[in-house]
Formats: sequence, C-alpha cells, structure tokens
Amino acid sequence: MADLQESIARLQAACRDPRAQMDRYLAQGKKVVGCFAPWAPEELVHASGMIPMGMWGGHTELKSAKSYLPAFACSIMQANMEFGLNGAYEGMSAVIIPAICDTLRCMTQNWRFGVKSIPAIAIVYPQNRRSPASTDYLISEYEGVLLQLAALTGCMMSETALCETIRIYNEHNRTMREFAAAAAEHLDVITPQVRHAVFKSAFFFEKSEHTAIVQDIIAGLKALPVCQWSGKKVVLTGIMCEPEQVLDILADNGIAVAADDLVQESQQFRADTPETGGGGLKRLALQWNERYGCSLIHELGKPRGGELAKLCAGAGADGVINCMVKFCDPEEYDQPWLEKDLRAAGIPCASIEIDQQNASFEQIRTRVQTFCELL
Amino acid sequence: MYTLGIDIGSTSSKAVILRDGRELLAHQVVPLGTGTIGPEQALDAAFREAGIAREEIAFTVATGYGRMNCAPADAQFSELSCHAKGIHYLLPGVRTIIDIGGQDAKALQLSDTGQLLAFQMNDKCAAGTGRFLEVMAKVLNVPIGELGPLSAQADRPAAISNTCTVFAESEVISQLSAGVSAANIAAGIHNSVAKRVAGMALRLGHPTSLAMSGGVALNTGVVSAMAREIGCPVQVHPLCQSAGAIGAALFAWEKQMKKEGSSNE
Amino acid sequence: MSDTLNPTAAAPAQAAAAPAKPKRPKAKSLLMIGEQTNALFENARLAKERGEKVGWSASIFPQEIAETLGLNVLYPENHTAGIAARHQADPFLQECEGPMGYSNDLCAYAKLNLAYTAVLNGESSVELPDGGKMVKPDFLLLTNNICNQLTKWYENLARQLDIPVFFIDTCYNPMDYVTETRVRYVRAQIDQLIRDLCAFTGKTWDDERFKKVMEISQRNSYLWERANNLMDHKPAPIGGFELFNYMSAMVCNRGKESTTAIMEQLNAEMEQHIKEGTSTFPAKEEYRVSWDGIACWPYLSHNLRTLKQYGINMVASSYGKAWAIQYDDLDGMARAYCFASTNGDNASTMLSRRYEALTRMGCEGTIYHVNRSCKVMDCQMMEVQRQLSKMAGVPFTSFDGDQADYRNYSEAQFETRIQGLVEVMKQNKEAKSNG
Repeated sequence: MADLQESIARLQAACRDPRAQMDRYLAQGKKVVGCFAPWAPEELVHASGMIPMGMWGGHTELKSAKSYLPAFACSIMQANMEFGLNGAYEGMSAVIIPAICDTLRCMTQNWRFGVKSIPAIAIVYPQNRRSPASTDYLISEYEGVLLQLAALTGCMMSETALCETIRIYNEHNRTMREFAAAAAEHLDVITPQVRHAVFKSAFFFEKSEHTAIVQDIIAGLKALPVCQWSGKKVVLTGIMCEPEQVLDILADNGIAVAADDLVQESQQFRADTPETGGGGLKRLALQWNERYGCSLIHELGKPRGGELAKLCAGAGADGVINCMVKFCDPEEYDQPWLEKDLRAAGIPCASIEIDQQNASFEQIRTRVQTFCELL
Repeated sequence: MYTLGIDIGSTSSKAVILRDGRELLAHQVVPLGTGTIGPEQALDAAFREAGIAREEIAFTVATGYGRMNCAPADAQFSELSCHAKGIHYLLPGVRTIIDIGGQDAKALQLSDTGQLLAFQMNDKCAAGTGRFLEVMAKVLNVPIGELGPLSAQADRPAAISNTCTVFAESEVISQLSAGVSAANIAAGIHNSVAKRVAGMALRLGHPTSLAMSGGVALNTGVVSAMAREIGCPVQVHPLCQSAGAIGAALFAWEKQMKKEGSSNE
Repeated sequence: MSDTLNPTAAAPAQAAAAPAKPKRPKAKSLLMIGEQTNALFENARLAKERGEKVGWSASIFPQEIAETLGLNVLYPENHTAGIAARHQADPFLQECEGPMGYSNDLCAYAKLNLAYTAVLNGESSVELPDGGKMVKPDFLLLTNNICNQLTKWYENLARQLDIPVFFIDTCYNPMDYVTETRVRYVRAQIDQLIRDLCAFTGKTWDDERFKKVMEISQRNSYLWERANNLMDHKPAPIGGFELFNYMSAMVCNRGKESTTAIMEQLNAEMEQHIKEGTSTFPAKEEYRVSWDGIACWPYLSHNLRTLKQYGINMVASSYGKAWAIQYDDLDGMARAYCFASTNGDNASTMLSRRYEALTRMGCEGTIYHVNRSCKVMDCQMMEVQRQLSKMAGVPFTSFDGDQADYRNYSEAQFETRIQGLVEVMKQNKEAKSNG
C-alpha cells in the first residue's frame, strides 16, 4: 500500500502531464483512444483492450484553432482543436467525439478535415430517454463505434471482456464515491486542488489502476483523524473547475469543496451500469438513462437547483459556486433557473467564469473572496 | 481608536482614517494606482490630514486590486464588501449600489445593516465601463469630464447600438461624419453605458433605493441615463470615490473590536 | 426557420432600396402571405378562446402531425425574426439579459422569445408591440434537427409555463445519410408522440387526413423548390432577398392549401418575369451571389442597399431550400426530418448542397453571415468555406451579424467586406472575358 502523499502526487502528476501517461501506455504496446469531453463510451475502448483518455482541453495559445472555430466557441473545444492541430495528441489511434452540443457537432467535422492523422469517431447520444426506442438506438451507436474502432485499430472486444470492463468501471465508480465521502472528512489533506486532481486523473489511467491508487488514498485518509473544517464549505457545480489557480483561490480564502456536481468530476461516477438486464451493450445503453443533472443531457423541469439544494444540505455546505465555462450555452440556459431555485431554498450561490486560456485570475479572486465574505 | 482603510485600485489610491468606527478624520484620493507611489502618497496625505502618527492606528484593512501587496495591512477584504459598507456609511438608506469604474462595473445588493447580500460583476468587457467612455471621449475630442455637461445639451440622443467597444467606436465616427451633434452622440453613449449596466444590475431585482459610485458616477449624463433606465432615482454622494476605503476602515474597526473583545475574556 | 417580414414592413424596405423607381404595386403572392400570416395568428387566438389547446413549435418539427390533428400551432423562431426585422427587439433583449439573468451569448431568437414569454406569463411588464398575438401555448412541439439550443430553450419554456413538451429527438447525422437505426428511433418517437398528443389535446388521428396533408406538403415542397430553382435564370426574376418573405409559408403553413396557392402564384409571377425579361431586383444584375446563413433580419435594408449599389443579387441561399422536405410515408417522414436542416449538415453534405446551389445558379461569390446567434453553423463554416471556395473557384467574404440581436453588427464592416468581394468578383469577371 503506497503512502498517501505519494499516491496523491502520482495523480497530480498525471493531471499536469497527461502526455507522459499516454506515452507510458504506448511504450507498453497499448493503443490509446482519445475521448472528447464531456461524455464518451470509454467502456467500449477499454473492453477492446485499449486505453481511453479524456480530452478536456487545457491551457494553450490558440493559433491554428482560429481557422476552425470563431472566438465564441468554448475554450475546451478550442484547446482540443489546437492540441489536435499542433500534434499534442499524436499517437492516439482515434478520438471519439460526442455530438452533444452545437459546438461538438461541428467538432466532428472540424477534426475530420483538420486532424487527418487521428480519425474521429462520432457518437450521437439519444436525448429522448423516455422513449424505449432510445436504448436500441444507443446500442446501435455503440456498435458503430466498435466497428470503427476495430477497423482502425484491429482491436475488438468480446462479450466477456465487456462484462469485465463494466465490472471494473462500476467498481471504479464506487471507489470514487467512497473517496468523495472520505475527502469530506479530511478537508485539510484533500484541498480543492488535490480533490480535483484525484477526480480528473481518472481520465488518464486505465480504470482498475486508478481504482487501486484511489483505494490507497482512501485507506490513508481513514487512518487520519477526522478534520473539523473551520472555514467555509461549498459545493461546486458546472462543467469543470479549472485551472489550478482557481482551486488555489478557493483554498486561499479558506474554502473547502465539501461535494461537487461537476460534469468532469462526480457526475462521471454517480451512475452505475446495471448488473443485470441483458448483454453488456444493452446494460451500457441503460446506464445512459441513469445520468442526471447535466446541462448537456435533456431533462425536463430544470431540476439542477433542487438537486443542488439537497446536495448542499447533505454535505453541510454554506453555498454553491457555479463554475460557468465561458461560451457554454447549455450551461447558460440552466444558470438563471439554478440560481433562482437555490435562492428560494436560501442557499447562497455565486458564478465564476471558467476559461482555460485565462491569464489573469484577479477577477475570480475578487469574486470568490467577496462570496466568502458574504457567506 | 483609530483605524485605517486603504483602497488600491488600478488607476487611483484612496486612504481613509476613522475614529471609533464613526468619525471620518481623513479621506484622500491620489490618481495613481497599484504598483506606483500612489498608495504611499495617499497614506501620507491621510495622516497629515488626520494629524495623527502611523503608530496610532490600531488596525489596517486593504482593499482593491492591489490589496494583496499592501505591506501595512493587517487584513484585506474584497472591494465589493468594502464598497457596500462604505456606501452604507455615507447613505444609510441605500440598498443597491451601481459602481462603474475604469475597468469594470459592479452591482451590489445590501442588507439594512450594510452587509453585502448579493453582487453582479462585469469584469471582462470594456463596454459599460469607464474605458468605453474614454474611447468615445477621444473620438469626440472632448475631455472625459465634460461628457456629462455636453450630453445635457442633447435634443435627440443618438442610438449607439453596438455593445462591442470597437464597433461602437466606428458607429460614433459614422454618426459624426453624418453630422450628428457631439451632444447627441454623448447622450447616446451615456444611454448605451446605462443600458448595459442596468441590465446587469436588474439581475439583483428592481432597486428601491439606488446609489452610484466609482469614477463614472461623476458623469452626470450617465447618472441621469441610469435613473431613466432603471426607473429609480440615483443618489451620488460626493465622497463616493472613497467608499471602498471607508468600508475598509470600518472593517478594520470591527476586526479590532473583536480582537479586544476576545482578549478581554 | 424563420422569416418573416411582415409585408407592411417589407414594403418600406423595398421602397428604400429603389428610390428612383415609382412605387411598384405589391406582388399578389406577397399580399397572400400577409393574409396567411394574419390568419395563422388569428386562428390560434380564436382556438384559445374556444378553450382549445394551442402549441408552439420548433421550425422543422413535422408539421404534418399538428396539421393532421387540426391543431393550431405557432412558431417562436418565425415570430421573433419578425420582431427583430421590425426593430422591436431591444426591450426584450434588455429584459432577458437583465432581470431574467440570461447570458448575452445565447441565440437571440431564444432571448427574445423567453422575454416575450415572461410578459405572457405576467412576470414582466415589457410592452408587447404586437399586443400579444403570439398567444400563450398549452404545449410545445420540439425537434433538435436544427440545433441543440432549441432543446434547452424549450426546456426553459416548459418550466416557465408549466406545460408539456412533445419531443422528437432527431439525431445528428455525421454520415452523408440517415442510418436505419435513426429512422427506427425517430419513427418510434413519432408514433408515441402522436398517441400522447392525441391524449393531451383530445384530437384523433385520421390516416386519410394524414395522406391528404402529406400530399399537400409534398406539393408545397415541390413548388417551393421549383421557385427557388427559377433563380437560375439570368437575370434572376426577383431580388433574392424577397424569397425570405415566403419563409413563413414554408415554416408555419407547409401543410396547408393556402400555401399551395401562394407557391403557385409565386411560381407564376416568377415565370412571368422570366418571359418578359424583367425582375423585381431594383438594379441591373451585375453579380450573382449566394448567401450563407440565416438572414441578418435587423439589417436587411442595409444589406439590400449595399448590395444594390453594386448590382449584387442574391440568387441562392443556404437555408431557403431547407424546407423542401420530400417523403411518402411515416418512415420516409422520419428519415426526412432526421436529415433536415443542419442535422444533415455534416461537412460533406454541406459542401455538396452548396456546390450544387453555386453551380446551378451561376454564382460568382458567396457572402457568409457569421451569425453570432448560430454556433451550429459558425463553428464549422470556416472549413466548409475554404473547401467550397476551392471546389467551385468562387470567392467569398464574411461579415459579423446576428439573426435577431441588432447590437452585433457594424454597417462599416459590412460595406467594406462587400466592397472587397466586389473587387475580386470584378477581377474574375474581367479575366474571364479577356479569355
């Protein structure tokens, strides 16, 4: 069992240099398939014996991407495109792109013509999950992905492999949820930045490897006395809370992340694939119906505010910070309703702008500090 | 007991000395901001005005853009919280503040005791800030301080539709060459700023008592445009520029009182 | 998608575009459009008074369903385009971005409509310039074949008004065709939707009526496409911008016989011009261009004035023909609606559609409207334009605008860009004639 700090450091290193992780797997003779944010069928890649790696943009200077995307496309896509064009992803056998928002739709085409060295596989998730026909449709989309993966890489999956993958991913989900619970009791060790690293690093490891490291962390935490956090506690919601400087600003203000509802973090791990109900692909398709509270997945009633209020109560949080990725229109539709429902529940909420290309964080510092002062 | 509040902005520095958290002993504004000798100059001037020595200060709070690098500060608070407190001191009945500075615009909602309840900020875009007015004043070839009186002479305010500063500049140039009067254009510019900022402020709800502060509050044209746009009279206190520093000095007093209270236990 | 110049607003635009000519009597087809539009709103209002359920629909929802059931349905995209064209958008934009707390990044049709809805709902006191003729809906009809913002917009409307959404998820097509799996999914949704809608509204489905509506819709699609194709004559029989006026027929009334009458009339008028060698374009046709993207509704007259100056007629547009939807049965309908509009706009399809339009209409240039409201178009257009320009050997220019938010436009920029395009088109023309 590895030392707590060593394990944390390993995960932080993976987040700071995902390329090194990718090279490690390539050196082992494994193939790597990139998975665009926010949702991709990683399990299909894993079951085919390859390593799925999340593509969540990053800090970079936008140059070549400007020939494909206008200024008002979100920074995650801008960065992914820039990295694709400048070779940062070279070595990937393919990328999977979910056409789940307007910009992502276009990305399937931009990548198709712009990054010819890494073939793009598009997947279109069903949005009418109330229709029973959506499950068969999604299964066929998965089969399309599998076929393209096989044709591009020669790697295929088997039903046995898929069932094993599902087991691994469900176990990983459980582990991450256990980590979230343990983290809440050790906010001195699990600072906002560390917490984020533990979650985000899941995108850069083979899942069972990541499970093992996180289990070490959980064991290490449980050996420590529970921390009674004296500062403010918040719940983070939105697509993601990055870069590190933003997380450090939270810490500077004595703010701990008691729980999160971020698409990049807890949302990835809160819906398990059913263990019964059909073959692997069918059950994987049914998992899609379990996802909730994501602005990119169609739901009626604008339930996010209500869900967040419950999450806050459960986590003992003082307020919510809504991490708004700049130019993300699905998030912008949700924002007024989310804030309204939280206000009605008496829960303070502040929005901060998330922009990976941001060079100055003074404005965010002021907002976070002000929010903290009024909590 | 004397407390000191320092507000180090991007283009100006303000210092305020308060006695017993009540009486304004000194308030100084220097048009030099963070990274310059501005803060030091403001401090010097404030101490001279108050007639006390630096050692007599019990607690110092810094605020503003340069608050993180203020050596004499015992603590620092965000300028929004300080501003809210400061304006509450100057205008106790006010519950909503619109603060338009050189680089950003803010709307603050206060409780009856001057506590900040909610806020909105525009800190990314030049439109709706002093910067916008600077750019337009240059195009009109008018000193920025004269934009207000100039707009008062307007008989038909021009419509400036663009929210992008760059495009709006080009719009103003077209209007000028089409013979629209500078007065009408100035009025149009003020309406544009007021509209943009009002929209942001209205997210906090419709104000019942409203004050403006920040450098742009000195522009009578923007103030009257804002009153029209929001549908609520606007108060502007002559000392509003020092509101941040006043709030900081008030926070300093609260902090010191708490310290003395707990040390007496 | 949208259109709609209220014919009375169109007249001043046309008059401004042709000051020297005596005022032309308005074309009969345009008068018919005006009547049809008035009837659409009036019938919805009367239906509401009778206690019937009235709906709002996305612009490329299968209108055949509502038409067959005899439901009155209005179209927010179309309605807000009209508000924008009549320069009435400002108070709604202020309301939406102000007290309602929405970001200005959103599609302006959505911004206008959400604010208008707030007024209908008694949550806002902005004055309705049309007196509230866009009556409050009892249900929503949604497809996402145009874009994903529609889904979010309608989620919000549903919550705001506490009404149901009848949704057909028409999945995006990354391939050049619609997969059978999509057809099955969409068909299953259509079948369920019809059942649910009948249960909700108390209407019944009549297969015979559906057959009739399909026939009418097919005929109208055929006539509309025919009219668009008549623009291949040189000179084109009408000013291309005028075709925008007929969008309301194809968006809001596609399954109605009144549209058949309008389309037949339009075709006849265009044929007449072709016969006589005349055109409604208010200048000599010097250059023929295609227009890519939705119309810049708040600035149509400025666009027209500028183009007229150089004799530029827009003879092809990327989205007019989007409403020419062809099929024979429910499966075909599922397939057609799944491929409609931007849903069928993977890059290769986009390219082939545009290339066909460019070559058929003999276009010498393309004007690309970088519509701030429309990410689904803007985020892949640069690559498409590059490839198209190479394929067709035709120059293009772009300008920043918006379908409904009047604040995203610069007259100076538009004029400069068009001037630049003209210079290249002129050079090309001269090079061609010099052999």
